[in-house]
Amino acid sequence: MSPRIRWSGAALGLLGIATTLVLHWMVFFWVPTERTMGVVQRIFYIHVPAAWVAFMAFGVVAICSGVYLWLKDERLDMAAVAAAEGGILYTAIVLLTGPFWGRVAWGTWWSWEPRLTLTLLLFFIYIGYFLVRSSTENPERGKRFAAVVGIVGALDIPLIHLSVTWFRSLHPAPVVMRPDGPSLHPDMLATLFVGLGASTLVFFSFFLFRYGLERMNRALAHREIAAQGAPQPEGAAS
Amino acid sequence: MRVFTVIAVLASVFLALPEAAFGQGMADADAIASQNLRGYTHMFIAYAIAWIVVVGWVVSIARRLGRVERALND
Repeated sequence: MSPRIRWSGAALGLLGIATTLVLHWMVFFWVPTERTMGVVQRIFYIHVPAAWVAFMAFGVVAICSGVYLWLKDERLDMAAVAAAEGGILYTAIVLLTGPFWGRVAWGTWWSWEPRLTLTLLLFFIYIGYFLVRSSTENPERGKRFAAVVGIVGALDIPLIHLSVTWFRSLHPAPVVMRPDGPSLHPDMLATLFVGLGASTLVFFSFFLFRYGLERMNRALAHREIAAQGAPQPEGAAS
Repeated sequence: MRVFTVIAVLASVFLALPEAAFGQGMADADAIASQNLRGYTHMFIAYAIAWIVVVGWVVSIARRLGRVERALND
């Protein structure tokens, strides 16, 4: 892995860890407890940043995939793969932490309401992104098909965001991105923004390492292909 | 294994903390009543899941990086 990627990833990772420690102090010792839901509402400070990072990651996948289809630059496909893997993991965090909040706030672990269903669909679309990639014998075709899935999958993100206003939903209406400004308590808002910053830094750190890994994987694959195609020395064992 | 030990220690410390240690205080008495053990347990499990997923990703990337680096050096 190039030193630039390694050191950038490490620097972002250290910053991310420091911000995450601040976030945990704020969540457990500083932020006021929400009046109706009680302490379980503090899941909000990890659930919402995870959703933000997942959407951002899939946005990166869509942009990189779109430009990859246009320019055919291998680096964009590698960045899309790295972002898609992170996006899937952060979507898993969203899907796994939400039910623990929902169980107390709504009285149920899961409901097939629009936002939950569309988020689960997003998770499966990007699982499909990796399946499609490996489903063809021609790797270049697999990359192109996956790029299309990456672009189409990102169309689900605005639907998830708007689903609470378009449909009847158990999820509350937006409390931050509102036309008349956030309705959250200022301390809660500050904690949320620290959470968003921490998650973003941690994600980009791992994204860089994952991108470096993908580069090395492909370098190894190219070397193996070159070795197979190279003329064998005379008298080599068959 | 070490990761799980750290998580177990953090869990023990977290569960041993009194309710008053959390936050700046409640808005009213009803809200205090709404804070039950289930809320704490659910919150702790949710945070633990997030940590496990992120740490799992770190370990996975590190292992794969090590494997590829070894293969490239061979």
